[in-house]
Amino acid sequence: MAAESPSSVRKVVVHLRATGDAPILKQAKFKILGSDKFAKVIDFLRRQLHRDTLFVYVNSAFSPNPDELVIDLYNNFGFDGKLVVNYACSMAWG
Amino acid sequence: MEAQKYVWDGAIPLQIHLHESQVTTLPPPPPALILAPRIGYLPLLASLLKPYFSSTLPPGVDTIWFDYNGLPLKWYIPTGVLFDLLCAEPERPWNLTVHFRGYPGTVLIPCEGEDSVKWSYINSLKEAAYIMNGNCKNVMNMSQSDQLELWHSVMNGNLETYQRVSSKLKLATVEDEHTSLCSSKSQQGFGETDLAGQVKTGRVPVRLYVWSVSEDFDDLEDMPKVDSWEKISYINRPVEIHKEAGVDFEDALRIPSEDVSSDKVVEDHVQNAYEHREACSISSSAEIKLIRIQGIEPKLEIPFSWVVNNLMNPDYFLHICVCVKVPQQNST
Repeated sequence: MAAESPSSVRKVVVHLRATGDAPILKQAKFKILGSDKFAKVIDFLRRQLHRDTLFVYVNSAFSPNPDELVIDLYNNFGFDGKLVVNYACSMAWG
Repeated sequence: MEAQKYVWDGAIPLQIHLHESQVTTLPPPPPALILAPRIGYLPLLASLLKPYFSSTLPPGVDTIWFDYNGLPLKWYIPTGVLFDLLCAEPERPWNLTVHFRGYPGTVLIPCEGEDSVKWSYINSLKEAAYIMNGNCKNVMNMSQSDQLELWHSVMNGNLETYQRVSSKLKLATVEDEHTSLCSSKSQQGFGETDLAGQVKTGRVPVRLYVWSVSEDFDDLEDMPKVDSWEKISYINRPVEIHKEAGVDFEDALRIPSEDVSSDKVVEDHVQNAYEHREACSISSSAEIKLIRIQGIEPKLEIPFSWVVNNLMNPDYFLHICVCVKVPQQNST
């Protein structure tokens, strides 16, 4: 297995998708450090949407723990080179 | 399924001290002595602790949190895992400090009581289902009452109810001849096969908690205490189980999976995961010093499939605590 070069810091493409009546972001695709926690995505959404209460999911399926690393989420649940993150203002998938 | 019963009955004896900043009475209250289920979560102890300390707490809003030697404890990690991870040498009783004020929002994600813990549990379960099946429809389609019953079975440590309700989810992972031979007919074991044949590869949900040391220690007691979560690598990476291909589906004969010893599986997995994570400075391999699952250090020969089927948590994740020795990095 090829080792990653010491200076390579893996970035993950995150695609943010609005669900229900949540506002749609002007820019929906971002690159984030794989070593960042999912909490960073949640915080980013909170700031962008000016909302404290947000429900954030991966692949319209489950809400990952904010401490999980983005790289792990991408490796396990990403497809087509990106991690799809859905956000809603009320609980979408209970 | 005796082993599972042992796991569910397992508990950590806790001696819980109220943080001095919240003691308003003299003499201060004695610590609470509680047996906390291994598979449970610390905030669920609030129902016992709040009444116990209520007479001495200052007025105001209560948000429970715990610390061990000053380290705020992440509440979504099962109690048993926290103990295995943070107490290299098991401390009995385990001395914890409980707080009802001053929630450390920069270190801990918010917790609003039982509902937050339930939400965390159900989502972990969905995540596990997604890893195993490629989707979590089975969990999403659970009836409200089933979901509640499942959650309550975890809260109350009721294995019978848990097995009954969780079997409806049909979450098959690993074929394990050792466990299926012992299980009764009414139980739905893992590794269900359909007429078409066996599942060729299974993905086992694993949460790895890795802490690294730079030298060998004769005594676990001498190991440096974890004083920051930065020192723990939280790695979520499923283990792939590959089976022998080629099953004659007309034949009842079942070819058991290649029973790799758990020691080897975990070692490879940690090595793999660790290299991916710490790609930068660690060139030589990390040496595994300790593996703990449900408080057990698995023997070399135990087949990994047995470990999965018997030692997993109610969220269908195998939580593994690992201590690795990493060669000291040269200062540049």
